[in-house]
Amino acid sequence: MQKASSASQTPHLSPAELSYLYTSLALPGAPIRPDGRSPTQFRPLCAETGILPGTNGSARIGFADGTQAIVGVKAEVERTDSGELSGSSSWVQISVEIPGFRDDDALPVFLSEMMREALGGVDSDTETDTGSETGLKGRLVINRRWHWRLYIDVLLLSQPLSYPLPLLSLTTHLALLSTKLPKLKSQGEEDPFFDDDWEVAQNLYPRHSTTVAPPITLLVVSVGENIIFDPNREEIAVADAVMAVSVTRSEKNSSAKSNAEEGNLALKPNPKLKLLSIRTIDPPSRLTQPGVPDAENATTGDEEVAGVWRPRRGGVKRAVVANMVQLVLGEVGEEVLQGLEGFSVHT
Amino acid sequence: MKSLRRDFSSNPQAANVSSKVFVRSTKSGKVQKIVRELYLRQDIPCSSKLCSICPATAPADANGNIAPFVLSDRPAGTASFPRGHYLVPDTNALLNGMDLFEQTGAFYDVIILQTVLEELKNQSLPLYNRLVALIKTDEKRFYLFFNEFRLETHVRRNPEESINDRNDRAVRTVARWYDEHLRAATRHTKREKMVPSIVVITDDKENIRKAKEENVTALSLQNYVAGLEDSDRLLDMINESREAKETKGARGELFYPEYYSMSKMMTGVRAGTLHQGIFNVSPYNYLEGSVNVPAFGKPLLILGRDNSNRAIAGDVVVIEVLPKDQWKSPSTKIVDEEAVTKNDNPDAEDNEEVVTERERKALQEEVKKAHGKNSEGRPQPTAKVVGIIKRNWRQYVGHVDSGSTGTQVNSGRRQQNVFVLPMDKRVPKIRVRTRQGAELVGQRILVTIDAWDRDSRYPTGHFVRSLGELETKGAETEALLLEYDVQYKPFPKAVLDCLPSEGHGWKVPASKDDIGWKGRRDLRDLLICSIDPPGCQDIDDALHARPLPNGNFEVGVHIADVSHFVKPNNPMDLEASVRGTTVYLVDKRIDMLPMLLGTDLCSLKPHVERYAFSVIWEVTPNAEIVSADFTKSVIFSREAFSYEQAQKRIDDPSQKDELTQSMRTLLHLSKVLRQKRMDAGALNLASPEVRIETDNDEVGDPLTDVKTKAMLATNSLVEEFMLLANITVASKIYSAFPQTAMLRRHATPPPQNFEELTNQLAKKRNLELDVSSSKALADSLDHCVDEANPFFNTLVRILATRCMTSAEYFCAGAHAESEFRHYGLASPIYTHFTSPIRRYADLLVHRQLASAIGYEGEDGRAVIEGVSTRNKLEDICRNINYRHRNAQFAGRASIEYYVGQALKARSEKMSVGGVDSGIEEQGYVMRVFENGVVVFVPRFGIEGVVRLEDFLLPGESVGGSVEERKTLAVRRETDFDSEEYTLRVWEKGQADPNRSVTVELFQKVQVNVSSVKEEGGRGAGKRKVRILIMGSEK
Repeated sequence: MQKASSASQTPHLSPAELSYLYTSLALPGAPIRPDGRSPTQFRPLCAETGILPGTNGSARIGFADGTQAIVGVKAEVERTDSGELSGSSSWVQISVEIPGFRDDDALPVFLSEMMREALGGVDSDTETDTGSETGLKGRLVINRRWHWRLYIDVLLLSQPLSYPLPLLSLTTHLALLSTKLPKLKSQGEEDPFFDDDWEVAQNLYPRHSTTVAPPITLLVVSVGENIIFDPNREEIAVADAVMAVSVTRSEKNSSAKSNAEEGNLALKPNPKLKLLSIRTIDPPSRLTQPGVPDAENATTGDEEVAGVWRPRRGGVKRAVVANMVQLVLGEVGEEVLQGLEGFSVHT
Repeated sequence: MKSLRRDFSSNPQAANVSSKVFVRSTKSGKVQKIVRELYLRQDIPCSSKLCSICPATAPADANGNIAPFVLSDRPAGTASFPRGHYLVPDTNALLNGMDLFEQTGAFYDVIILQTVLEELKNQSLPLYNRLVALIKTDEKRFYLFFNEFRLETHVRRNPEESINDRNDRAVRTVARWYDEHLRAATRHTKREKMVPSIVVITDDKENIRKAKEENVTALSLQNYVAGLEDSDRLLDMINESREAKETKGARGELFYPEYYSMSKMMTGVRAGTLHQGIFNVSPYNYLEGSVNVPAFGKPLLILGRDNSNRAIAGDVVVIEVLPKDQWKSPSTKIVDEEAVTKNDNPDAEDNEEVVTERERKALQEEVKKAHGKNSEGRPQPTAKVVGIIKRNWRQYVGHVDSGSTGTQVNSGRRQQNVFVLPMDKRVPKIRVRTRQGAELVGQRILVTIDAWDRDSRYPTGHFVRSLGELETKGAETEALLLEYDVQYKPFPKAVLDCLPSEGHGWKVPASKDDIGWKGRRDLRDLLICSIDPPGCQDIDDALHARPLPNGNFEVGVHIADVSHFVKPNNPMDLEASVRGTTVYLVDKRIDMLPMLLGTDLCSLKPHVERYAFSVIWEVTPNAEIVSADFTKSVIFSREAFSYEQAQKRIDDPSQKDELTQSMRTLLHLSKVLRQKRMDAGALNLASPEVRIETDNDEVGDPLTDVKTKAMLATNSLVEEFMLLANITVASKIYSAFPQTAMLRRHATPPPQNFEELTNQLAKKRNLELDVSSSKALADSLDHCVDEANPFFNTLVRILATRCMTSAEYFCAGAHAESEFRHYGLASPIYTHFTSPIRRYADLLVHRQLASAIGYEGEDGRAVIEGVSTRNKLEDICRNINYRHRNAQFAGRASIEYYVGQALKARSEKMSVGGVDSGIEEQGYVMRVFENGVVVFVPRFGIEGVVRLEDFLLPGESVGGSVEERKTLAVRRETDFDSEEYTLRVWEKGQADPNRSVTVELFQKVQVNVSSVKEEGGRGAGKRKVRILIMGSEK
């Protein structure tokens, strides 16, 4: 059960190793990562789209650490019972398959729920109407009586070495970008009727759009004051906080609104990106054994001793979270989205 | 972020694998992306006899043989292609010119691409089937080249390329490949100079242009045909629509409303706001159509051309109900297209209107009727056609309206528009562009409809071929067979190859140890005889009866064992299943099975041993069935009687031999059986049947050949036992094959079908028709008698028959057991078993019965031969139901034609001074319209429309030509009472009752029947039977 909430299978590191890692990552302003990356640098990845010919859209992403995922998107026409044009969360069905886990184990369930939430799948009252129409479920509306139902099958090909959420989310993003739906020939409220030529099938999300894109969920950790993107599992193991931040491109008109709403956080987010959700994930560092300083072999006090590992306790500072959000909504998020866009040029 | 994308270009296998991706929408509304992988190969042969490469690589079958090559090494040439040529048509060329490709004079050595065949299948299934049939015939040398599977000719779609462009490119690629391939194959041989030109036939200008760029020979169909001999005739056969569209361009005027989009129609049909059904046209009024839809008990009316919106009888249409203020009553008027639109000019399109003034008038008068008072005149729901699901256009037999050839008849080879009047009155006239206008006048011709555009008042079509002079026997018979879709071509060789090699010398094996005797009972000692109509050659059935020691009787029905000779799924079986039934015309029989079987080997001829399938019952003297037994057998028929001979022999008290005794037994039992059937509620229905005996010599009155069918007791003897056999067999095969038994049912007709007849009987005769059950109906029909008018009862039976649904074959799994009932025979289950020589259903039932009784046959396969899948059976049922119905129509039409000819022959013999005085007969009024009545003449079994001008008023004489009488029509005035079903006719201004004629429904009238030649109008030069009403008898 621990597997579910903890960010990854905890690597077996000694308290001394943990402490060393933490100290280097927490260096104020200039953290030193074990692999030498800058805080916002992602590990290289290899990706391709359109790999499953039978699906409406598909993608494969492999991280350099050997983790790989495949996502296939299939669409089906379905009758809408409610007659609503805003769409419903039940139209998107995600199944996550992770080797070694049953599909009702906590990890796959938790992951798919988090991704569905990002895809606009949660029917929340606070959600603005404008957002849902351009979001995924709004795109699935054919007319008042018909809609598409999407089946997103996410398959992790390797063991979950690091917390697989970002990998799965990026692959899903890419798969959705490459998803095409048969071209509609009927009009208005007629029963849908489609062109049988696949070549003219239309993209679910428009190409190279600066206003809409499928959401992505990034894993961000904080160590001390530092914000670190795309953490590997050693970095996760010592993080103070692990957060899953979901963003998407936002409509111009709604960006002003979201600015105002989020104004109290004193942020200046990129007007093109919109924050969908932030989830904290239980950092595995809490479960580690503390180190024992030499001096006090017998007693274990609460005060910190430099160089001796202590599991992190307590929350995260507001400023750190704000900083994190700002980075995601700023150039980091944009870079990731543009980078992924580059893959799906042709399907 | 760095990225890597997999690169396929280095993969050597990638070139051999391709895929085809498309979207498929299923019936249930699912939309699927379908991906088919293609593995490209290089061993698909070019199939040219010139080629020396392909025979070495072509795939061989299990015996190491490769399929014989199709394309000739010396193909025919033309002026432009002296070295011969192979044709490569694209899809449009086939769509526009299928009739050309079927020609025997030209179009040999054609390469049909898989791409083209598939595209054609999507666009037109009938054309696809015709093309497949063409590819199958050897003599035309059509080769189906699987270009999509061959590496060199497979074409990958370029980005942004449309499917059409890609397919055009595929055609050009194949042409280029063939050229290069054949050149390579013949290089440095003496055949080098014999390489034929590869000619792409396409009507796409862009394609021709690109072909020129790529150095591929491409011609339009027009240009190609123009270079052939007899090009005038051939050019006429090109589909007219496309060409016309191009020349007409954007000529703004549109006469008909646009059809709804397919999705809009489907949405509407599913939601129940629109309805789908088959468009029918009233035989009496070409402007009145009706569509039977599942949602309503009664058909919806479609009035006028506007509402029928280019639908032609037989099309599957989608209709929308009109608002209530537009509801009307069905027409009480006879409206004939030829009369109303006589003066249309086929060329003058510019000022044409959809509804001419005269048509509009005809319609207005009907609206008036809508405000009538009685139930019949009550307005009924009307509808309009909003779209067509499926066109059921076929080839139509007709003739050129001589009036429409206009003034330029002699202007030689110029193309002109003419109207072709189809024989089928429910089909509108067809505008045909022809270069042979003058020659076609007076010919029976076959035409086909190509299109009916919104800007054209009539459908456009093209000429297919001429059947010959109007009214010649050959042309008229062929016309009839074509109209009723009867397969009349001689049996192909493949079918004849399935016949026993001994031919007429085939015999039942002498030794009982022979394999042919396996599972057969020896019934040669039984006194079996057959009773059939005189001159019958295909004897299906024979009978016997003998007393048993316990006082009961053994009765046997022996049916020709056709299934012994026709094995499932061989070419003969397939041909028979397509033909479905033997068609009997007056002077011709179109057999379902080759003559050798039908009239000799299977036929239960007397004094010869024959294989049979026997049903043997033990019955009590009271005709109670004690037991039934089925067996394959060998019989020896003692005698073949005609009905009359059999009757005489039974009636002759001096005949005391065993055979006669057994016939008497049969007769007695049949009477008991019949009575039981009648008590159970079987209907004694009547149809206007006459038979024609053509054996008579030529002298004397030709009309004596026309005989109404006489019912002898022996007729019913045979009939009863056949019914009994059918019912017994039906139960047996149903118990053995509850899902797949081949049965026949006659659905209980819905009571509203009888509404009108019930109404008419109540009004005119104060009789009541109880239609609550078949028994009730049978009883009430028995009460429908008129002392003064003995034929009245038959007339009512004829009318009642028309209210019923027709019986149909079905597969047991298709209906619930309660729906198996045969209404007319009042039997809970029924099938056809007794005429396997002339009906395919019976042959199937034979196989099923053989399987049900565990008969193994010579090779032990008979047990499984009877087993079939339900899907396949349902297809067969659909076909044989259709064939069966058409065979009946064709037979009736043949008799009608013969009667007309007999009348004509008589008039030629009898008439004095060229004036035909006709023959006087009795007729009965079947229907009353506002401007005429329909009269049935039992003597000839014909019914005909009597128009106002054909009412002989007191003081008038019979004489006068058709034209003279026609002028009378405008001077006639009428008083039509739709409630009383009466029509009074008088001369304008002379309304004196003494000088007028009144006719009413069911009335017996004196009529004058003659054959007249039509002058002008639809019939121009064609004969038809004219009926004059001479006066009425009360």
